[in-house]
Amino acid sequence: MADTRKAPAEPLVSVLDLDKHFGPTIALDGVTLSFYPGKITGLIGENGSGKSTLTSIIAGMQQPTAGSMAFKGQPYKPATMIEAGRQGIGMIVQEQGYVPGITIAQNIFLGEEGLFRKMGVISKKAMVRAAKEALLSIGIDDIDPALYIDQLNLQDRKLIEIARIMRMDLDVLIVDETTTALSQKGRTLLYGIMDSLRGKGKAVIFISHDLDELMQVCDAMAVLRDGRLIAELDKADFSEDTIKRLMVGRELSGHYYRDDYETQENTTPTVLEVHQATSATGLLMNFSMDVKKGEILGIGGLSHCGMHELGKVLFGEEPLLTGSVTHTASGQSIVSARQAMDLGLGYVSKDRDQEALVLSASIQDNIMSAGLDRVKAGPFILPGKVQAYVNKQINNLSIKCASPKQNVQYLSGGNKQKVVFGKWVGRDCDILVLDCPTRGVDIGVKAAMYQLIEDIKNQGKTIVMISEELPELIGMCDRILILKDGRLNGEFERSRDLDELKLIERMI
Amino acid sequence: MKNRWETIKNYFPLLGLLILVVFFSIATGGALLSPISLQSLLNQVIATALVALGSVFVFGSGNFDMSLGACLSLSAVLGGMADIATGSLIVAFLVCIGLSLLLGLLKGLFASFVDVPLFIVTIVLGSLLSAFTLFILGDASAVHLKDALQPLPSFSFSQMSVINLVVLLSYFSLCLVLFLFMPIGRQVKILGGNAVTARQSGIPIKKVKVGAFLIGALGIGLAAFVILVRVRNIGASTASSMGTDVMIALVLGGMPLSGGPRSRISAGLVGATSITVLNAGLTMMGLNIAVIQIFRAVVFLVVVYVASMTYRTRLLPR
Repeated sequence: MADTRKAPAEPLVSVLDLDKHFGPTIALDGVTLSFYPGKITGLIGENGSGKSTLTSIIAGMQQPTAGSMAFKGQPYKPATMIEAGRQGIGMIVQEQGYVPGITIAQNIFLGEEGLFRKMGVISKKAMVRAAKEALLSIGIDDIDPALYIDQLNLQDRKLIEIARIMRMDLDVLIVDETTTALSQKGRTLLYGIMDSLRGKGKAVIFISHDLDELMQVCDAMAVLRDGRLIAELDKADFSEDTIKRLMVGRELSGHYYRDDYETQENTTPTVLEVHQATSATGLLMNFSMDVKKGEILGIGGLSHCGMHELGKVLFGEEPLLTGSVTHTASGQSIVSARQAMDLGLGYVSKDRDQEALVLSASIQDNIMSAGLDRVKAGPFILPGKVQAYVNKQINNLSIKCASPKQNVQYLSGGNKQKVVFGKWVGRDCDILVLDCPTRGVDIGVKAAMYQLIEDIKNQGKTIVMISEELPELIGMCDRILILKDGRLNGEFERSRDLDELKLIERMI
Repeated sequence: MKNRWETIKNYFPLLGLLILVVFFSIATGGALLSPISLQSLLNQVIATALVALGSVFVFGSGNFDMSLGACLSLSAVLGGMADIATGSLIVAFLVCIGLSLLLGLLKGLFASFVDVPLFIVTIVLGSLLSAFTLFILGDASAVHLKDALQPLPSFSFSQMSVINLVVLLSYFSLCLVLFLFMPIGRQVKILGGNAVTARQSGIPIKKVKVGAFLIGALGIGLAAFVILVRVRNIGASTASSMGTDVMIALVLGGMPLSGGPRSRISAGLVGATSITVLNAGLTMMGLNIAVIQIFRAVVFLVVVYVASMTYRTRLLPR
């Protein structure tokens, strides 16, 4: 897609050949892109396409692996967000960006309390007064800044973050998927702010998963895929079909995935039933599904669609407000991880380093952590049995290590993930819930994981595979459910004709 | 290379102990290693080691117990009172162990079911127990076993050493078996390392916590009994420095106080010996108690600092 745009002026910010690597994962691959004054530029792409990585580098949250940036024609290399802010580039982040337990005014003037110091004492009154003005300047007149921020609902807390950012005299505002956290009123307010910045000749970079919203608000759009810039579009070229087509089409090379496409008979019994489940976090809402014996069931969707919560719900790790998860064979409702394990379930968390592994523990201790009941002889654990159990996993999964006593923190991402798999494969689980099983692992390990997943299926076991990678879902699963806003928004059977576009249409 | 370094690091605590022994032998002109001194060292090591061994489970699982000393002195005082009232050492033994287990259960239940940082709970509990001990002592500052209705057996220095050794070896073996050859040892390490991982791996967290506190409490009860039999005069201030001694012992023994996979039983034994040698050596050098306290504090801070550099992990409670 050629860039037909005539640049209206010198770009305000540009990035040149920007690379960002996280270990073996390439998050940005030679991205060159400019943002112009008086324009709102949208960034769009699938999960993991590199949008947030790009903006976080521009905002000074992290440093690029290679490449350079320029701001107002000068080389630009912020070491921190504060430095970027001082120069005139600010970002409203996707996650929580406020400090709980203090007042709204204190949040707005975080780090700038000195402005209100009189003879060594900070005047709360003056701060509240100034906060009121700051809120008014972006059109909020119904929030008392003397209140604690915790008294506001989540949507209004986001507005406070916006007010704080807008106090800075910004030349470039980055909005990273903020609108999903805002009420309609908040959205309108944010659009107003973006509009007024545009009017003042500033630049706005806007990330959103909502295509309609982007098409409405933006003057230009850049499509990213697998860390690469795929296309730049001017408003005149916006069309839903074109953009969706540009977003998909991740390259599949090599023989990774299953090559069988025979339609399976749909008579296999159900092993798990989810009935009207609403998770305590509210990300999963009134969700129901059946999991069939021996299938690989794929679960897909955008970030915050509730799919990761679904994984935890299946394993009894996330409390339910309503509904239930039933293990069909036993008729039991699953309410805890221990119970789920006793019923033959296993769970690989998406968050490998924080949840699935104890980083400071050895490979052996990690693999054994879920399998102690498998090596018991009476009340005792026999070292010989432990060794055999652990060595079997290390050999079967080809975990590269000097010894089973080696700490997992020194292993590569792929080897760490193999240890996590070893925890559950060793237990010989009947139902495995895998949340992003190939996240952050290199190609070789990925292929090995797919082979393993296929082998497990061939043993008649069931797999629920939650994934942010559509080719993986299409290539591996017998059935794919797409979630949107915590609800089921599409179901697809395995087929040669299934493509990413069909799935994406259900995700956005 | 990394692995060899890890293996070498495992011997640091023993090396530290060796350095302490050599240093104080020279500083005291050899007095530290005289037969009398050795026997007295042994007696002192025992009580600290009994408490420290059990504390490997408690601290190992990520719990921070600040009430060790108070639990010990209450158990010893009540054990002493039972002894005086009945004239039976067996009753005294049962009271020491029973009360200690009861307190351990209480702490374990708190750790499992009450959502308040446990080290705060145990600080409060420690104060409460000390106050309670003073209360039951009333006007007396201590209980004296010589006041017993029936004369109680009194043990010679060497007899006492034998009793001590038997108690310590039995408890050490028990801890070793529990830690290495039963699920709770591995569960403690995983729980201390990452509670979320532990839960997701199906480890019964509440049971493990209660179990860890009960094992620790058994050590405290045994320590209360051997101190009672050896010292024979027990007051509210008996073993008042036990809490800090045990924490220093665990750190000197090479285990982070935040617990986790680096917890090990040897930390209790090696660490207890190190802190006892340190205390005895400083006393023998003729330093006054205030200077010794300062010195202990400095050693503690230095070891925590060095350990946190080499282990790249937190040593203090979360």
